[in-house]
Amino acid sequence: MDIRFTDCAVRFGERVALHPLTLTLSEKRIGIIGLNGSGKTTFARLINGLVKPTTGRVTVNGLNTVDDDRAVLSEAGFIFQNPQHQLIMPVVAEDIAFGLKNRGHSREDIDRRMQAALTRFGIEHLARRRVHELSGGETQLVAMASVVVTDPKILILDEPTNQLDLKNRRRVAETIESLPEDTVVITHDLALVENVDRLLLFHEGRLAGDGNPDETIRLYHEIAGC
Amino acid sequence: MLTSLHIEGDSLLHRLPVRAKLIALVTLSILLFLSSSLAVQAIAFVAAAGLYLSVGLPLREALKRVGFVFLTIFFLAAVNLFLLPVLDVATLTLRLMALVLFAAAVTATTTISAFMDEITVLLTPLERLGWLRAADVSLALGLVLRFVPDIFARYQAIREAHRARGLPVRPLTIIGPLIILTLKDADTIAAAIDARGFRRQ
Repeated sequence: MDIRFTDCAVRFGERVALHPLTLTLSEKRIGIIGLNGSGKTTFARLINGLVKPTTGRVTVNGLNTVDDDRAVLSEAGFIFQNPQHQLIMPVVAEDIAFGLKNRGHSREDIDRRMQAALTRFGIEHLARRRVHELSGGETQLVAMASVVVTDPKILILDEPTNQLDLKNRRRVAETIESLPEDTVVITHDLALVENVDRLLLFHEGRLAGDGNPDETIRLYHEIAGC
Repeated sequence: MLTSLHIEGDSLLHRLPVRAKLIALVTLSILLFLSSSLAVQAIAFVAAAGLYLSVGLPLREALKRVGFVFLTIFFLAAVNLFLLPVLDVATLTLRLMALVLFAAAVTATTTISAFMDEITVLLTPLERLGWLRAADVSLALGLVLRFVPDIFARYQAIREAHRARGLPVRPLTIIGPLIILTLKDADTIAAAIDARGFRRQ
């Protein structure tokens, strides 16, 4: 991946969510940690253009998130903190097909890709299930399948193991580890970012740490005071 | 729940195109309202009931789905008995029940996705006139059906929270937090729709 933040800052009214930041991300697996309200999610949402920079610019694989916002959405898929929010259609198979239909794929292509995505995440048995009846772990896997099916090069996962029990947490964590796509994982679950290539730490809207997981997690404990 | 209305199957109605089913529903509605014959309404009722029961629903589930609407129709009929001749009330009741059964059969055999696709196609002429975006309208319909169970679950959670705190469960104290939470979620859902490239169309 090639994500560049150039003097990028975000304000929501009077509140500064992210102070000016210049940074390049090129590693395959990136983790983001920080206390609640530290700017992690704002930072992640800048990557696929869900949040626009108030000043500065963000480019994703050469595409500007303001000028090329549609192309950026194809380049970087986003999996939300509460995946139920991003499942738009009432049935799993229909939801996975949703993104492909929007991109104008043929019926045959949609069926083929949908089947491949279901198989890849081991959720073929959920194809006809209603999305509001899924368990937390199933919802997370369906959300990932529904994004991955459109072939984004980068996946941004916002607290993917939030509210999952131990078994589902493990299943989702293993799935994330095995993803061939470049990933940016925002999490409070430190075990999930122990093996990333680069770990960023945010604190009060600023980048407070940037390095290997061991160093950054140690710094996080210092900041959190525990 | 609305989202649970479609059932898998291979009945005649399942195989028919959505457009044909919608046109048949509209045509039947018009014809039944044009006719005041009790015999015609009775035949339509029996045919619609047969069709509805042939889509593969268990009898109990089939009755449950239309039960509340039927109760409303019966209430309407009871009121009308004071105002109209019995024959007219019977005609009116059979007409409404036939239409409900036919509509329920169409709904049970059509996926939300197929409905949305058809509505998009049907509204395309209006889009050409610049009046609306057909895909937006069909998405709005789909979202309503998709998120009704979520809103209902949230309502139940708020109600339980009231009980847990020993507060009386009153509609006014539930509606406030329900609206706030729903609007908050709506922002995220809108972002998710954008993130999934819907506005690319």
